[in-house]
Amino acid sequence: MEPNRASICVPSLTPEVSEPTGQETIVVVDDDHAIRLSCQKILAKAGFRVETFENGARGLEGVTELRPALVIVDLKMPGLSGIEVIARVREICPQTIVIVITGYATIDTAVEAMKSGAYDFLPKPFSPEALRMIVNRGLERRNLLLLTERSELEREMLKRRFVTFVSHQLQTPLVAVHQYLDVINQLDDTQQTAAKKREWIDRCLRRTEEMQAIIRDWLTLAKLEGGTLSRVKVKVDLERIVRDIFATYEQLAAAEEITLEARFPEGGCFVPGDHNCLNVLFDNLIVNAIKYNKRGGRVTVSAELADGEVAVSVADTGVGIPERCRPMLFREFYRIEREGCKKVSGTGLGLLISKRIVTEMGGTISLESEVDAGSTFRVRLPEWHEDAGEAAGRANGD
Amino acid sequence: MATGARVLMIDDDADFRESVRTVLESNGYEVFEAATGKEGLQKLVEHKPGLIILDIMMECCTEGYGVNQAIKYQDAFEGYRNIPIVMVSSIEQSPDERFPMAGELDMIRPDLYMTKPLDIPRFLEVVRKTIRTS
Repeated sequence: MEPNRASICVPSLTPEVSEPTGQETIVVVDDDHAIRLSCQKILAKAGFRVETFENGARGLEGVTELRPALVIVDLKMPGLSGIEVIARVREICPQTIVIVITGYATIDTAVEAMKSGAYDFLPKPFSPEALRMIVNRGLERRNLLLLTERSELEREMLKRRFVTFVSHQLQTPLVAVHQYLDVINQLDDTQQTAAKKREWIDRCLRRTEEMQAIIRDWLTLAKLEGGTLSRVKVKVDLERIVRDIFATYEQLAAAEEITLEARFPEGGCFVPGDHNCLNVLFDNLIVNAIKYNKRGGRVTVSAELADGEVAVSVADTGVGIPERCRPMLFREFYRIEREGCKKVSGTGLGLLISKRIVTEMGGTISLESEVDAGSTFRVRLPEWHEDAGEAAGRANGD
Repeated sequence: MATGARVLMIDDDADFRESVRTVLESNGYEVFEAATGKEGLQKLVEHKPGLIILDIMMECCTEGYGVNQAIKYQDAFEGYRNIPIVMVSSIEQSPDERFPMAGELDMIRPDLYMTKPLDIPRFLEVVRKTIRTS
């Protein structure tokens, strides 16, 4: 299954970035028959697809054809040397991890190999355990690289297409509304069409609300980027904010039999910031916790004071967020949609806005999640101090 | 009027489908709907329509092209290859400006490309002229 069936995904974005499949291909290049055989045996048993080659030239042909996840290469071989093989592999498949095996593991040769782009080295003789460990470490490293590369590419692409996306996001509801109005205009008046028309007007209203939400979020983002929203620092009562938000969504939660619970320490939690910003931040997190919950679930907002900070967690007992989706979660227009999950409406900008607000306030936001069990967003913000607030006010020329 | 002729609409916007469906039904067509490319291909086989109305930009950007490509090139849809496909999109630019990627343009018949919102009289005219009736 392709990752991110979610959101606006960018098609054929990363043709050469392949996903880790679990059954990765490993190429072994060594002139020593016994080494080839033992590598083959050990790694095949660990579930990998293993291809062995007896010299550098053959090995490179194999690498070109197989585009393996990992190459194990002997440094000292007749013909093409291991160092040359490393350099060529880096050219052919930059994402392939190269591990060097060497019979004379002097620091010098190992360093030379690493300089040429090898990931690590394994001195001969080695135990099966040592081989498995180094291979697994190499593959972990590769998966990390792939993930980063993928994220960066996506980010770049999104930046370039941001305007296109915003207009598409706005155009979709606009088209729906226009088409309804156009058809309403052209339909003959009968009893049947009258009922339809009334229903369609309701739908049109909902779609215009959708457009308003997108524009509102978009403006919030623009203001955050311009710094005009986050400059204010007054004493804000977080418990009050959370309870007000709960009151707003009481019905939404009740409709799905979701329990809303707030746990605040006695004496309350106060942070220096802008009331609206903090409201937007927790509104986003709480709405998500309700929308992505299960019927009969629970949303728990708990706050505590720790080391001059306020730590607030918003936990749900909902569908959870698959690990592969997490790197993209705080991006623009990212929406998680999975088969079997109900469709959730939203602008795709909420978490991005939340993250910006937290960052602007000098705090952090993080996520823990388990699929089918729920997600917890943790926000840490500086705690309010009488002096700090005034100082911040003065610094901003208030 | 092409009574009973079947139209399959593949579009991820339920509201858009609803309004266009009403127009088509009030003109005597039988309409089937699909919200995703995958569902569209299933319904294609199930109902064997005389015309497909296919949105280009669905949830997954150019999913419409994927559907078109599947029908044109996958063996499973060999018997459905001649069903005309009207591609619709809300993109104002001409398709060759917007979709310069190789192979994509081949899929669009200029006379069967329409922008959203649809001009209803023109749309009905296109449907009437191209739909296959068995």
